[in-house]
Amino acid sequence: MSDGNLTLKETFLRGIWKENPVAYQVLGICSALAVTVQMKNAIVMGLALTVVTGMSNFIISLLRKKIPSTIRIIVELTVIASLVIVIDQLLQAFLYDISKQLSVFVGLIITNCIVLGRAEAFALANPPLPALLDGLGNGLGYGLILVAVAFVRELLGAGKFVGISVIPQAWMDAGYAHMGLMVLAPGAFFIIGLLVWLKNSLPGASPEEKTGQ
Amino acid sequence: MSERAKRIHAIKFAAIISVVCCLLITGASTGLKSFQQANKTLDRQKNILRAAGIVTLDAKPSREQIQSLFQEKIHEVEVDATGNFMEAGQGKGLSLYLYQEGQTLKAYVIPVESRGLWGKIKGYMALEADGETVIGFTVYSHSETPGLGGEIEKAWFQKNFIGKKIFNDANEFVSVSIAKGGVAALPEASRANHVDGISGATLTGKYLTQGLRENLEQYEAVSVRLRQGQGIKAGQMLDGKEQDKEK
Repeated sequence: MSDGNLTLKETFLRGIWKENPVAYQVLGICSALAVTVQMKNAIVMGLALTVVTGMSNFIISLLRKKIPSTIRIIVELTVIASLVIVIDQLLQAFLYDISKQLSVFVGLIITNCIVLGRAEAFALANPPLPALLDGLGNGLGYGLILVAVAFVRELLGAGKFVGISVIPQAWMDAGYAHMGLMVLAPGAFFIIGLLVWLKNSLPGASPEEKTGQ
Repeated sequence: MSERAKRIHAIKFAAIISVVCCLLITGASTGLKSFQQANKTLDRQKNILRAAGIVTLDAKPSREQIQSLFQEKIHEVEVDATGNFMEAGQGKGLSLYLYQEGQTLKAYVIPVESRGLWGKIKGYMALEADGETVIGFTVYSHSETPGLGGEIEKAWFQKNFIGKKIFNDANEFVSVSIAKGGVAALPEASRANHVDGISGATLTGKYLTQGLRENLEQYEAVSVRLRQGQGIKAGQMLDGKEQDKEK
């Protein structure tokens, strides 16, 4: 994963599109199902994860020559957990309603495979600046998928776009009904599945011709 | 580095990381506490207003609106075992919120603290001044499973409580129960005392039913007095005159 000859720009963009953590690495699916009923939650969750992955990658990369290899996973988790707790505290202080809706899922960023995955796979072997960009890129890539899924779910499930109703009353009168499936977790499964398929079938979007073995 | 030196390095490193992270977390937690506390108080006030029907369940009132409405219409009192009112803050009785329009008592809001499946469920239930009709029920804190028991915090579930009765036709206290399945399947007579259950959250419903019963029972004295038409004038109660008369 850690090619030495990638430019900084490539390092950053790779996580967003080509090696997108959700669509290509298939990580972080659990929270992607849970927080994508509304766009607002998806955006906050995407940003929170971006900050955590970026900072944890940066800090771990700074320490990478000092971290004893015997306890490196514990050290990585300590750094990640501390960052997540601080972010959770910040959300509770300044975005209380959103923090209540995200409930346990902010805390669960700690166990999100993307954060630990990037720390292990990239930050331990690369200098701080590329590590920071790699973290931010992967976080944004995760956020991008979340927002895309939330857009479809909120639009079809509740007829809203970022909380604003967009379905004209005339349609409702004519018998238009919201798609209840979209509000439930299975709806997110379908959307994520379709997105992964769509993304990987676009020419040049997949790092390999065939995904999987 | 020798094996021994490596081990010492690992221990030193772990110690330093732990201390640094501890300081970071403690700093964030204590530094932001006042903001978080203010948010929690505001959230509780909003839930009291919602339960009492002063703002609707879906409404999103601003910070200022909540504060001014709460100040204007809600009075916190304490109530003892016989249903007498006292000024709040004495710690002798149960906490109760009165919703008054001018001098008339519109509703009283009972704090509900119930056992849930995973943790405590905290909320408010507002009853009309007739002492038996539910105006609203809200939940401001719980740890139930999101999507299953967690639905108790959603407006669709809470709306079902509006207009329910805590007394049955025979004038006995029965509380409001969460049905297994829909209310429509129940016999006509008990429909007014039940709300629709949540599929996949039978236990949350069971515990909340128990919790509501226990909490409402504690305030039975107040409800009975109101139903018998005694002491409706909230102003008197607050002055403590009502209290003296009863003695």
